[in-house]
Amino acid sequence: MIEAQKLTRTFGAITAVSDLDLAVEKGEVFGFLGPNGAGKTTTIRMLAALIAPTSGSATVAGFRVGRENRSIRQNVGVLTETPGLYKRLSALDNLLFFARLYGVNSPEKQAERYLRLFELWDRRDQLAGGFSKGMRQKLALARALLHEPQVLFLDEPTAGLDPEAAKVVRDLIETLRTRERTIFLCTHNLDEAERLCDRVALFKTRLVALGRPSELKERMYGRRTVVRLLDPPAGIEEALDLPFIKRIERDDGALVISLTDPERENPILVKRLVELGAKVQSVSELDVRLEEMYLDVMEGDDAAD
Amino acid sequence: MRRIKVILVKEWRESARNKMILFGAIFLPLFMVAAALVMVYQGKGIDVPAAEVALFNTALMYFLILPAIIPLAIAAYSIIGEKEQGSLEPLLATPISDLELFLGKALASVIPSLIITWASFGLFIGVCILLLGGLPPHVLTPPWIAAIFGLTPLLSLFSVGVTMLVSSRASDARAAYQISSFAVIPAIVPLILYTSRKTLVSLWLIGLEAVVLVAAGAIVLYLAIKVFQREQILTRWK
Ligand SMILES: Nc1ncnc2c1ncn2[C@@H]1O[C@H](COP(=O)(O)OP(=O)(O)OP(=O)(O)O)[C@@H](O)[C@H]1O
Ligand SMILES: [Mg+2]
Repeated sequence: MIEAQKLTRTFGAITAVSDLDLAVEKGEVFGFLGPNGAGKTTTIRMLAALIAPTSGSATVAGFRVGRENRSIRQNVGVLTETPGLYKRLSALDNLLFFARLYGVNSPEKQAERYLRLFELWDRRDQLAGGFSKGMRQKLALARALLHEPQVLFLDEPTAGLDPEAAKVVRDLIETLRTRERTIFLCTHNLDEAERLCDRVALFKTRLVALGRPSELKERMYGRRTVVRLLDPPAGIEEALDLPFIKRIERDDGALVISLTDPERENPILVKRLVELGAKVQSVSELDVRLEEMYLDVMEGDDAAD
Repeated sequence: MRRIKVILVKEWRESARNKMILFGAIFLPLFMVAAALVMVYQGKGIDVPAAEVALFNTALMYFLILPAIIPLAIAAYSIIGEKEQGSLEPLLATPISDLELFLGKALASVIPSLIITWASFGLFIGVCILLLGGLPPHVLTPPWIAAIFGLTPLLSLFSVGVTMLVSSRASDARAAYQISSFAVIPAIVPLILYTSRKTLVSLWLIGLEAVVLVAAGAIVLYLAIKVFQREQILTRWK
């Protein structure tokens, strides 16, 4: 649905996006994570045929960026960084205007459908300027969906919302997932990405890492088992001489043991610990949050610069 | 064409809720009609021909100021309003072409300014007939008709072009309005100068003014269309 090859965009001396290669499948929710100024918005703008790449190429919804821009715009929806509603127009008029620009068959029906879906129907005649932040974001999301785009670009859909409004918007996004619709989600919210996305890209001007959230974590850290012992005997690390153990670290009294196949290896590990006279209190798998990984990756990338 | 119409309707909906624009579109024309009536009324029986001429020239000028001034507020708000609301990006994400957007915005100012100008002129003629008991002399003459129907669209287009150019750079609608008015005034200087001449405005003068406006308008509109491109709007507009 979205393919990019060596997509690059510079602004004068600044390189905002450098040699981006991507392939996002139909029906996938793809997370695009990066810090401020990483080039997320610039990437969306290029893929939505709003600004031209400096070099490289991309295909979106089957159309070539640069050659078939109008078809791309007809087939993608964009939730921009700011809602950008017309404050002097009612919620309904905001949607009708866009439905007509997109050439939607029956603008009234489509507008009603999304206003109802997003629970804004009762407020349809209210000026958008009087809406709360969360309502504005919902209306903007409705606007991006009116023409039933195959690809939906969401630029930080929950940024600036209070936790409750953010949850409402996040839940809505979850309901938008269908086999027919591809969602490209930019965010700095890692929980959001982990919850919503099939795959995530960590991005900072260039692609830093790419994969399923679980896969990425595994690739970076392997799998780790945390064992808590009562009065851990000294030298227990050295005494644990099992061949599958890759590394042992101590973290706050617990042993963090890197291995490859915890399902098979944990029982052996526990047995060995007991043999060594350790009092095992608990055994669990260490779940790295995407957040930690993100910070590690981005720091590592800084060091490489 | 369809998308241009969609833009037009939306601009007018928004304008109808904007006090600045309504003021310019209602009170200014009424004021000009009243002022023109005063001129014509005073000029009617006057026996100093030069003074009479000056008054009639001034009355005509009022009707040429309208199409130059009315578009300023509409055009300034239609661009800067989008900037302030951050609505340009979602708008540009639709399949509308740059030219359709430009034309929609431009016509949204030109069409009402012409309708209002001509309606004001109609009102003026009507009141003349009612109050002065008939049409005053020098009013429905070829130079007047040429000016009212030939010059006004050119003035309006020029004014819109200037305002759109200025608005692409400015971030405040009032500032854009003021700067644009300064830029538009020179367009009517020949007519202003004529108010102190001893001869009535002639077809020759109207023709000359038209040539100047066509040239200036073409340059300004060309520049405005060049500025009105997605890439530029999203990356260079302030
Ligand atoms: N129109 C522009 N002119 C000059 N530089 C620009 C322009 N747009 C973006 N940039 C630069 O490109 C880089 C990437 O910006 P971009 O807005 O794409 O980042 P982002 O990942 O969306 O950031 P944020 O999380 O803050 O929204 C930044 O250094 C920014 O200053
Ligand atoms: Mg951004």
